[in-house]
Order: sequence, then C-alpha cells, then structure tokens
Amino acid sequence: MGVILEVNNITKKYSGLTAVNDMSFEIHRGEFVGLIGPNGAGKTTLFNLISGMVKPSSGTIRFDGRDITGMKMNKIVNLGIARTFQLVRSFKFMNLLDNVGVSCLSPRGKRLAKEYGIDEYASTILAATGLVDKARLPPIILPHGDLRKLQIAKALGTNPQMLLLDEPFSGLSHEEQKGITDLINKMHDDGVTVFMTGHVLRELMHLVPRVIAMVQGKYVIEGPPEEVANNKIILEAYLGRGATFA
Amino acid sequence: MLDKFGEKFAGVPAYLRDWIKTFRGKITIICLILLSALPFANPGPYIMGIFYTFMIYTIFAASWDFLAGFVGQVSFGHAIFLGVSGYVVAYTLRYIAFIPIWWGWDNGILVPVIGIPINWVTALLLGAIIAVLFGMIVGVPALRLKGPYLALGTLAMSLILYQLFLMGQLGIWWEGTFGTELFGTDGLGQVPPISTNPLIQYFMIFLIMCVSILILTHLVKSNLGTVLKSIRDDETGATASGINTTKYKILAFMISGFFAGIAGGLYALRFSGVNPALFQPLYSFYAIIIAAVGGIASISGAALGAFIFVFLGEILRLLGDIPGLEGFGGFVEPIFIFSIFLILIIRFAEHGIMKPALERLQDMWDLVLGR
Repeated sequence: MGVILEVNNITKKYSGLTAVNDMSFEIHRGEFVGLIGPNGAGKTTLFNLISGMVKPSSGTIRFDGRDITGMKMNKIVNLGIARTFQLVRSFKFMNLLDNVGVSCLSPRGKRLAKEYGIDEYASTILAATGLVDKARLPPIILPHGDLRKLQIAKALGTNPQMLLLDEPFSGLSHEEQKGITDLINKMHDDGVTVFMTGHVLRELMHLVPRVIAMVQGKYVIEGPPEEVANNKIILEAYLGRGATFA
Repeated sequence: MLDKFGEKFAGVPAYLRDWIKTFRGKITIICLILLSALPFANPGPYIMGIFYTFMIYTIFAASWDFLAGFVGQVSFGHAIFLGVSGYVVAYTLRYIAFIPIWWGWDNGILVPVIGIPINWVTALLLGAIIAVLFGMIVGVPALRLKGPYLALGTLAMSLILYQLFLMGQLGIWWEGTFGTELFGTDGLGQVPPISTNPLIQYFMIFLIMCVSILILTHLVKSNLGTVLKSIRDDETGATASGINTTKYKILAFMISGFFAGIAGGLYALRFSGVNPALFQPLYSFYAIIIAAVGGIASISGAALGAFIFVFLGEILRLLGDIPGLEGFGGFVEPIFIFSIFLILIIRFAEHGIMKPALERLQDMWDLVLGR
C-alpha cells in the first residue's frame, strides 16, 4: 500500500487570487479518497494541477515515484492519471465507440487495447459502463447521467492507475447517482485509486473512507467523513456560524 | 510477415463489394467511367484542359478539407503549398538533370556516382516532399494559433512568400547561383508537360487524383482519422484522453501539405510554368470555396465542388464573352459570383451540398425505380 500521489506545498496564484495555497497531502495506492470544500474552495484547480492542465506557481507533485510537476497533461495521462470534468465534455461529432476509442488510441491505452482490437476493447468498456447499446450513437442523444458515465468510460480507456473524478454526481437523479456509485465502486474494487470531489455530500460521505477538506485554497483537515463533517471550520465554511451536521 | 500484409488487405474485396452495392458507390463508378471515357471522345485540348484543372483543384481542395474539416485547422494560406511545389517542379524540370545521392572518388575528385534522374514523376515527388517540409514550417507556429488567428497567420505566411517570389531583386542578388531564374514577376516557364500524348497526360493526372482521394479517405476513416477528429471536436478533451495533439497537428499539416504539393506540381506541369501569382490568397480561397461547396467534412465532396467551380467558371466566362453583355462583364467576374455562391451555401447548406445532393439523387432514383 505505497504512496501513489504526493502533493507537496502546491500553490497556484492567478494575478491577485491564490486559488490553491500551500497544500500538502498523500494518497495511497488503491485508496478511495474524497475532496470536499465549499464553492470556490479550489477543488477543481487542485485537480487541474494534478492532471497537468495548469502549471503550479510553486510546489511539487509526485506520482508513482515520479516528479510530474509541470508535466504536459497528455504525458501525465500516459503515466496513469485520468480525470473527468465538472462540465461534461465529449467529442460531439463522433459516436460513443469512437469517443472511448480515442482514449484507447493514446500510447498508454493502445498498449492494452491493441491486444483485443481497439473497437472490441472500447466496446468492453462501454459494456462495463452500461452504454454499449448506444455505442453507434452520438453523445448528443444521451441524458445527463449517461454523459457522466461516458466521461468515466473515456477515462477508463487510458487504463488509469488513478482516477480524478470532478463532481461526478452533480445534476443527477437518485437512480443515476446509484448507477455512477456502482460503477465507481467496481473500478475501485479492480484496484484503481479514486480521488473524488463532490458537492452532493450525502453520497460522497457514505462512499469514501477518507476525506480531505479544503477552504479558500487551504488544506484544513483530513480523516473519516464523520470527523471532518463535524470540524468547526468546515461547518462554518459550508453553513455559517453555529450550525451542525446531522 | 508477408501473410500479415495479406491479412490487412483480406477485407478489401468484401468492403468493395459492399461499397459498390450502395448508391454512393454506384454513382462514383459511373462518374469514374465517364471521366475515363472522355479523352476517347476527342474533345480537343481546350476541354481537356478544363478537366485537368478540375482534377487538380479536386486534389488541392481535398488536401485543404483534410486539415480543416477533419482536424479543425482552417488554413487561409493553402496556396503556399501550391506555389512552393510548383516552383520546385518547374525549377528541377528545367535546370536539374538528376539528384545525386551517393558520391565516389574518381581520380582524386569527389563525384556523384548514383543519382535520381529528374522526370515529371520524381520532380512531382520532390515538389510534394518540399511541400511537406513547408507543412512543418507552417504547422509549428500554427500550433499556437486557433480559429481566426490561425487563418490570419497562414494567410500572412502565403503573402510573405508571394512578395518574396515577386521580388526580382532577390534574383539579382543571388546572381551566379540558382536565384536569378527563380524570382521575379515572369516566374518560370517552358516546363515540359507530363506527356505530349494527351491520353497519357490525362490518365496520369486522373490516376493521381484517384489515388490521392483514396489515400485521404482511407486516412480519415482509420484510427488516425479518429484521433484527428477528436482534436477537431475538443482539443482539450483529446489531450485529457492522452493524445499528443501537437504531434498529430503537425502530422496533419504535413499530410495536407503533401497532397496540396501534388496539386501544385501538377499545376506547373499542366500550365507549363509557374509565376508568383500562385501564392496569392485567391488560390487559397478557391480551396475553401470548393471544399465548402462540396462538403466540409467530406473528402470526395471536393470533387463535386471542384467540378461545379470549374464549370461554373467556364459558363461565366462564356457569358462574359457574349456581345452586348460586355458592359456587364464586371458582374459575371468569376470570383464575384463564387463569393455570392459561397455566401448562399453558408446560409442554406452549411455542410456543403454533396450529402444533400446525393440524398436527393437517391430519392429521385428510387422514385424512378418505383420504390
């Protein structure tokens, strides 16, 4: 159970605004960790930093023993970190099979997919995410819940060691949330490290054994959900002074 | 290893059989047969010339569409490849006998021992290869530009070369080396054609057009095409899927440049010369108009677009020649009409007319057959 992700004093400044302020934490291989914080806390920025979408102003990130600070996003993906986005994105003019196929055609994905054939491998992923009967259709016809599943399918195409899921539950109905939860649990059982942010706290808190909490770019506390939820700073940040979490 | 090669092509006959059964396949075969039959009808050099131009523009527009419609890189300076390849072909055919590739010693002097003889084929390939290099030269700075800025940047690059080749001054400075002939408003003339036999000339150009379209279509339908289209649809998403978009964009510029270079070289061979005008934005716009008319994400649409473009151009020219209409000559100026045509296409058929036209044709055909 070694350390797979090591974030050291990571800071991101945007002229005048410090989005992420001197954060440090560790995630172990195979863990299932949540990231919470109120709106604007810097969760997505942190994910952007880890996945390589933006370069940190200072600090280092190590993944699987390698220093990945400032590395290009596609290189980081090929080392084994895949992410989904808060605002769903897809390749609008291609069908679902090709959407997942693109990830399977990345250098990392191809290594595994070539053994089975790119289309067959992509089909298997679509089957695992419950989208295989829509494989030849474009993303435009998908309901929101399926689009979120597609995001996860596309991430799986790169054969990741670690998944960064940015608000995978937002905008979903109860049934759709259950579907995503089952999917994420399945992946975690297969050995994928999952690092997840969420705003739908009820689902998140019952899902993850450990939670890291941040407020206004700063690390506040980490630990089991009940502990973190009852932390004074967190409660104030979410609910104002004098509130409690039931 | 040879049977692996055979494996790859094992699916081809079945694929062809299925393709011919489709309406699209049948129409294409009919057009190809008609095109092949043309030279035997003895239409004369003028009409043959029109068809040469049609075929050359098809390749040119297809190369542009590969880059714009499938990778999302809209270039407004595609004429740069026409000009570069055209000049390379013209120059090598006139002044160079062969390209040395291996040297040896002869009485203490280093002399070329093996060389590639220059004929229209090797000159054309050389022109296309130099155009590929320009694909890289244009592609690398273009990486940083998107949308309208990419269009402006490519436009600027073609204009720079236009001015460069226009300046006879450069030729005089380079007196003594190859410069003198290369630059200046006169351009390079007296380029020998592919063949003095019009049948050979026609079928060579026809063959090159078919092979180019086939290769581009195959590329677009392959895994490479899927990756390129992902860059078009969502570049950040493609990067997040592990794709090195930089590498693929440069590759796309090189492939596009290759075929645009083929078109440029054929242009030099067909018109027996080149001049700086070939670098003008006008030719870049031709590619855009033809591809837009034919269908932005359709390689074969370039053929339909080029056909309409060339023949509409001829009809307009003839209209301008009608006595009594001279006063209106300005209004039937081809580029004016084409621009209006392009505006109409963008307004009413923004994905080009190839697909809707094929569908209408198929409906009519079904009607005739009583389905």
